[in-house]
Amino acid sequence: MLSSSRSHKPAFSHLLAGDWFTIILSAIIIAFLFQTLWSHDHAAKVQIRIGDKVYAAYDLNQQRDIIVHGAIGDTMIRIGQGKVRFAKSPCHNQYCVHQGWLTHNGQVAICLPNQVSLELIGAQKPYDSLNY
Amino acid sequence: MRKWPIRLAVIALIVIGIFSFRTLKQEPLYHTQSYVFGTLVDISIYGETEDRAKLLADHILRDFQALHDQLHAWKPVSKNQPSELGALNTAFANGSTPITISPQLAAMLTDAAALSLQSQGLFNPAIGHLIATWGFQRDEFSAVNIDDAAIKALVKTRPDMADIVIRQNTAYSTNPNVKLDLGGYAKGYALDKAAGYLRQQQVKNALVNIGGNIIAIGQHGDKPWRVGIQHPRKPAAIATLALGDGWAIGTSGDYQRYFMLDGKRYCHIIDPRNGYPVQHTQAVTVLIPPQKNAGVLSDVASKPIFIAAAEDKASTAAMLGIQYFMVIDQQSNISVSKALAQRLDWLDPEVNNNSHVKLVTLP
Repeated sequence: MLSSSRSHKPAFSHLLAGDWFTIILSAIIIAFLFQTLWSHDHAAKVQIRIGDKVYAAYDLNQQRDIIVHGAIGDTMIRIGQGKVRFAKSPCHNQYCVHQGWLTHNGQVAICLPNQVSLELIGAQKPYDSLNY
Repeated sequence: MRKWPIRLAVIALIVIGIFSFRTLKQEPLYHTQSYVFGTLVDISIYGETEDRAKLLADHILRDFQALHDQLHAWKPVSKNQPSELGALNTAFANGSTPITISPQLAAMLTDAAALSLQSQGLFNPAIGHLIATWGFQRDEFSAVNIDDAAIKALVKTRPDMADIVIRQNTAYSTNPNVKLDLGGYAKGYALDKAAGYLRQQQVKNALVNIGGNIIAIGQHGDKPWRVGIQHPRKPAAIATLALGDGWAIGTSGDYQRYFMLDGKRYCHIIDPRNGYPVQHTQAVTVLIPPQKNAGVLSDVASKPIFIAAAEDKASTAAMLGIQYFMVIDQQSNISVSKALAQRLDWLDPEVNNNSHVKLVTLP
């Protein structure tokens, strides 16, 4: 008789101190696991922007050449061995090509005349914006 | 034993709750990148709905486009319409008849003249002819034929902001060789304008970057905005620092607008005293605490320090009231004022052990 009436009561009134301890500890462990498993510090992708639009994000874990059409012509972007760079661009001064390989999260290279930008992205950026 | 199904159910509910919270919680950060004002503009707004942030950013970008049209040092607005600055320069060259200018331009020129005086002429927006001679009044740069005689002659004409007379929204120049180029002022002015607009619109947190010059409002959520400083010779940041509410940062460098000739680098920052591009310095960064024209100062103040000889850089900074500055010379040696050094986090591994970094005490 006693046991059947107890099963109709709301769950929380059953809980003892040890129960609460279990619940809270589990919640903390799970939150911690989310933080560690879901965060990337190293750059995994390059984000290509053309003008004011995000064109695409590519995994750096591949060997590949990408051609994009910018304001004054076609720019070729090369991805390989976890790095990315401007390989060819129609601009006069070729500053973008001279920037060389981008290897770390947050690094940026831009072709201003062709309005193409490369940025290495991961979950944690070392800064919000670059002063230059 | 009957307790456990209930305990497990509660744990499961908590797990689902955490999972949902994390995936559904969107960080309220709006970020747009745009090519306006002849350069790359980056606007971040935190804590507004995406629709509102977009409206605000679009307004700012339109303002920048208008400033770009008004102040362009060499491009006309259209085939038959010069920029307001272009028209003024033409009038200057043609004699000393006053022409009407907008109150906004009048205020800018008055301010720029005061800063030029304060920098003892090292910041000199009146040397447009020299800048053009070196080929920097173009979108892209290439080596120019260096005509020493022509450069000497231009320097001798001594164009100076003090030659410009501004009265009741009219202006004329007593020196026909004055040609205004506000390249070292306009981005800073635009930053102040954008920040003023955002604050007036009750925006609490934002970061505006115009061609590398940055001003901050509020914070990035629960932590300050963080900015990186470009390494002059690598596609990476050399250091990062927090940029507090109202603070602005600007860098002048020889790595964005330059050309190479016979193995030498000629950058766009011209020393008005000899008419030649500065070759002893790679970059100068200034950090400006909150004040009314923080943006303007972040743009203007780095130039005189860049131009000054190594032994004069600290006193030049002091002349302009700049407490936080960093200099990277042509040999990659870094000098930082103590006040700025305390705020920098070095990223570059070559610098990390501080062997390249010299601390400068201000006079």
